[in-house]
Amino acid sequence: MTVPAAMMRKVLLTACAWLVALVVLAPYVQMLLTALKPHEELFASPPGYLPESWQFGNFLEVWRVAPIWEYLRNTVLIAGLSTVLAVAVALPAAYYTARRRFRGRRMFLLLVLVTQMFAPTALVIGIHREMLALGLIDTYAALILVNAAFNLAFSTWILHAYFSSIPVELEEAAWLDGCGTLQALLRVTLPLAVPGVVTAVIFTFITAWNEFVVALTLTSTPETQPLTVGITAFIGQYEVQWQYLFAASLIAIVPVVALFAYIERFLVSGLTAGSVK
Amino acid sequence: MNPSWRSRSRPLRAAALGLGAALALSACGDADDGDTITFIAAEYSSDTEPYWQELIADFEEANPGMSVDLQVVNWDDIDQHVTTLVQNRQQPDVLNLNKFAGFAADGLLRPAEDVVSAEVRDDFLPGFADNSVYEGTQYGLPFIASTRLFFYNTDLFDEAGLDGPPRTWDEVADYAEQISELGAVGYGLPLGPEEAQAEFQMWINGNGGHWTDSDGNWAINSEENVETLEFLAGMVDDGLTQPNPATTNRADMFNAFAQGDVGMLNGAVFLPGVIEDQNPDLNYDIAPIPGNEGHEPSTLGVQDYLMAFDNPGNEEAVNAFLDFVYDTDNYTEFLSTERFLPATDSASEAMTSDAELAPFIEALPEARFFPTTRPEWTEVDGAVKQEIGTAVQDAEPREVLDRLQQRASGE
Amino acid sequence: MRPSATTTGRVPAGRARPRRTARLEPLLWLGPALLLIGGIVLWPVVEMVLTSLREISRTGVPRGWAGADNFSALLDHPELVPVIGRTIVWVAGIVAVTVALSLGLAQLLHARFPGRRLVRWALIVPWAASLVMTAIVWRWMLSYFYGITNRVLTDLGVIDSPRDWLGDPTIALLWMMWVGVFVSLPFTTYVLLAGLQTVPDEVHEAARVDGASRWRTYWSVVFPLLKPALLVATVINVINVFNSFPIIWAMTRGGPGNATDTTTTFMYKLAFVDQSVGQSAAMAVVNFLMVVVMVLLYLRAVRWKEIG
Repeated sequence: MTVPAAMMRKVLLTACAWLVALVVLAPYVQMLLTALKPHEELFASPPGYLPESWQFGNFLEVWRVAPIWEYLRNTVLIAGLSTVLAVAVALPAAYYTARRRFRGRRMFLLLVLVTQMFAPTALVIGIHREMLALGLIDTYAALILVNAAFNLAFSTWILHAYFSSIPVELEEAAWLDGCGTLQALLRVTLPLAVPGVVTAVIFTFITAWNEFVVALTLTSTPETQPLTVGITAFIGQYEVQWQYLFAASLIAIVPVVALFAYIERFLVSGLTAGSVK
Repeated sequence: MNPSWRSRSRPLRAAALGLGAALALSACGDADDGDTITFIAAEYSSDTEPYWQELIADFEEANPGMSVDLQVVNWDDIDQHVTTLVQNRQQPDVLNLNKFAGFAADGLLRPAEDVVSAEVRDDFLPGFADNSVYEGTQYGLPFIASTRLFFYNTDLFDEAGLDGPPRTWDEVADYAEQISELGAVGYGLPLGPEEAQAEFQMWINGNGGHWTDSDGNWAINSEENVETLEFLAGMVDDGLTQPNPATTNRADMFNAFAQGDVGMLNGAVFLPGVIEDQNPDLNYDIAPIPGNEGHEPSTLGVQDYLMAFDNPGNEEAVNAFLDFVYDTDNYTEFLSTERFLPATDSASEAMTSDAELAPFIEALPEARFFPTTRPEWTEVDGAVKQEIGTAVQDAEPREVLDRLQQRASGE
Repeated sequence: MRPSATTTGRVPAGRARPRRTARLEPLLWLGPALLLIGGIVLWPVVEMVLTSLREISRTGVPRGWAGADNFSALLDHPELVPVIGRTIVWVAGIVAVTVALSLGLAQLLHARFPGRRLVRWALIVPWAASLVMTAIVWRWMLSYFYGITNRVLTDLGVIDSPRDWLGDPTIALLWMMWVGVFVSLPFTTYVLLAGLQTVPDEVHEAARVDGASRWRTYWSVVFPLLKPALLVATVINVINVFNSFPIIWAMTRGGPGNATDTTTTFMYKLAFVDQSVGQSAAMAVVNFLMVVVMVLLYLRAVRWKEIG
């Protein structure tokens, strides 16, 4: 391949990637521009591309008109602990099903998958009754348990796929070095599966972060309500406070992207950085 | 060894401990002491929750020992929430909603006479009280009301050389044609799922039709109603309305009117507020809703309810709270915060000075209501919102109305 | 080295362990997951099935057993068949387009180029944003009266007067399917991207030395290694798209009539428009059976046994 051709390729690649970023962000840019418009500009027809008067104050005001901090704290706690629980439970199951043949192995994997297959709206009445019986209405615990249980499937399956693709010979080598099963798992296999763990964490965290139907039914006070439920307060019967609704929604995206930015590097570690070489 | 993995097990243990603690705690926190009541309110606007919080604080101060657990739920989600609670026998003590008859039919409500004092009961305007009765007993407590009037954009009227509001359907169609020639929407017809039942009722009333006949039987597919839809379908065909009325929601239509893009529409009591917010310079006027040739103008009245569920143990607190809600000062404050019309005599008197509300209050005595006293109304209402719009576009009006009639009469 | 199913089952670790724990060993590893599923998931599922067999009043009061009445009423519903047909188009269309685009995107984000990290962060946004809000902002942009889409297309001269994009059922459905693809892309791409990490760089290099074309390298070497990740991503997408409620609900409410309903929004309408909670639960059971069948058919088609 000649040098100019390689250059061209790189330029083209970069242009493509940036175009993708643009397309993907466009609706959220629109959300941002709307959140910065004063109320009387929202429904102008035809709409202006940019606000005529920029209302940066909307982003400050929104913290005052609703207890956004409390809602965010609740969401962080619920999503964070759900993720920890789900991944912690999925890890041993995924490892074991990937490494051993035993009766009921496929049954187990299918059973886990089945838990993902129910539409939340269909189960909400039963979940409510269950949490009533457990005395967990309006607690974090209820939402953590529900989020973790119903999102087990992805973590288990993606980690299962990961462990399966990591050569068992690597672990065998560790055993020869005198490591036990658990040690070999922790020292050799798990570091190699980090991209899978990261993917599982992101998936579970985001799903729990945006969960709405169950939270609406199980929580009734701002002390436990997550942001998704809290911001419905901006949706009135006749008028929606779009600027606040959009501002709060954008604020809710930031922590997730920050978390992602932090753990994204582990997506590229794994095999390439690991001991395969 | 990957250190990041190690450290992850600590929050895990913390989580496990936390779950156990939460389980232990909540097991003993469930004591119902008879003085605590649960109250689910619908979210009218972002002012709703602050209003109730303040009122409850006042109530708790005036009635030491009593407390109210408030939950304000969005209109989009409240039906699902309440159904879940009812199915699990956790219905609230007090509920604010736009229907009551289904709950009454299921024997879940306490009659109004056991719930609020005689003074409060006598204060309800008779029309509203009548519209809160199920099988001879009043269960619903009329809470808020709203009426509709005809709005028209006077700038567009001037530009088209039109003078004054239309008085008949034919004039509406004629004016709409002249306005649409200016590039604006002639008549705004929101038959989308948000409030199609309201727009539909205003039109059928204008042709002498209604949901029921004079004997009180469902008559959704009456000749008058078929004729009404055929007239509307004709307007849509001729391009006198916005395209796709079946998917246009009222909120969008109101916004478009406020922006000056719509010549005429049936507006609600809160439309002036929307215009004030968005485009205070808009020139418009308000008139009675025109009827078909030979029919008097009519108006639509909408009312929402409060109701008390039959949950034994804390009746005294519930009654005290509801009397407190209907205290004239408290009640008028809610109405003026949310821009609604009063359902009581005393509040009507207190609010006559409100110039903006005056034309709507004036229209109240002639207003006709949705048949909310019938339990079937909930599913008729739902079906109308879904389907009525299709009757002015692709579907055959008579067929759509026949289906709705079937659904209503359960045949 | 080519990791594959053959590595499974060759673990000799059990040898060193005392025999008596051997039979309980699976429970030790799978126990927590089984506990969580049995403790939390099972109850509401049983509750759902019971509800589908009950007569429930319009406000939600149980009235006794209904046998199969809810199911026969549902099967008699004139809209059921069109809704199911539309659901299949909805799921197949969104998942197929998503997977195809994601394969390319994952490859793109795997390559090195300036600003890669920022592009990766950007791609997370549609996933991080609440689904309801994304659907709402798309409806906002597609609005006939004040949507930016009409403004842009008019300014570009593509259309000469505003269109009501969500007014016509067919066009509305296409737009909503696009939103479905839009929100599924990040997840799918990242699963595949993570999958690409298991492909050692040497594989590419070795193939290149052999003189294989990029395309052939991809299909014969990289793609097979992506299969486990692809399988998981597809299955989860099928399930999630099937059960997706917010997009349609926020954009058209399944209307006009039932013209843009899928089984999930239809199920919701049965409960809260038709006020028939029992029939809605019956729909939920049918819905669940449909997902199971779809997923099993898919697993069979990709010969899951060989991969898993």
